Amino acid sequence: MRQVRIDCMYEACPIPLLKALKELEKMQVGDLLIIESDHSCSTINIVEWAKKQGHHVDYQEVGEGEWEIYIEKAR
Amino acid sequence: MSRVIEEAKKRAKLARKAKKNQVPYGLALLGVLAFIFVVLADRSSINALLWVLGILLGVVLQKCRFCFAAAFRDPVLVGSTSVMRGVIICLIITTIGFGLVQYMLMFPQGFEEIPPENIPGRVRPVGFHTIIGGVLFGIGMVVAGGCASGTLMRIGEGYLMQLVVLVGFIIGTLWGAWDYPLWDNLFIQYSPVIYLPYYFGFKGTVVGQVIFLLLIYYLAYLYDKKNSIMAKL
Repeated sequence: MRQVRIDCMYEACPIPLLKALKELEKMQVGDLLIIESDHSCSTINIVEWAKKQGHHVDYQEVGEGEWEIYIEKAR
Repeated sequence: MSRVIEEAKKRAKLARKAKKNQVPYGLALLGVLAFIFVVLADRSSINALLWVLGILLGVVLQKCRFCFAAAFRDPVLVGSTSVMRGVIICLIITTIGFGLVQYMLMFPQGFEEIPPENIPGRVRPVGFHTIIGGVLFGIGMVVAGGCASGTLMRIGEGYLMQLVVLVGFIIGTLWGAWDYPLWDNLFIQYSPVIYLPYYFGFKGTVVGQVIFLLLIYYLAYLYDKKNSIMAKL
């Protein structure tokens, strides 16, 4: 299992989602993608998208107004 | 839930710094808001009411992450129409609400007698300028990451990048006002004012518009379902 971390700090919606999409395309099933973001809408946006695509996904606030989104590529 | 994600979450939790307590700041802000309310209420009750409505609207916008930019961008970008369907529901409520307001205000005279610019709800000429404005605003809000309300809401929650957008927003608004006579001469004064109740009657318009919006809602729902299967990933 590989773990990839992408930095989307200070990036507005929808850049974090697009970066995540590009990165996921390069990854294998079972790999973990961690997205760092400070844009609250992007967090909701990415989680909703990943759920719809059938990936395992979760997020948590790691600092004030800073989130980490975890996506495990499922297919 | 996936085991890999649980472990990553635990690791991040261990590395996390303790959060500052923000409750005192919140209480202080509440005090300032209440003070402004009292000052406003002393001068004009309508301004005090608008002050409260504005704050409540901002809270709702922030909590529900309602974003007009996402509503029109996500269907094209990622095939998701959940926010767009929220906007459609908004339009349905507005149709009924404004229908009632206009009906109650205009019923005694009969709306045929009232010139369109006096009807509550900003009935304005529609034409070529509407399309140009829509395209310009659409490009702007996707690049800026938020429309007018979204930009203000994000500044409020501390996302400072949007301050840059606010500066652009003010420049654009002033520029637009400066150039308004040009657009007025080119398109606006020749464009028709279309107010549907003139053609379909009051009840016909409200009922028809709600049915039409429900149809769009259903199409948006179908689009959302179809695109989750077709997407590349």
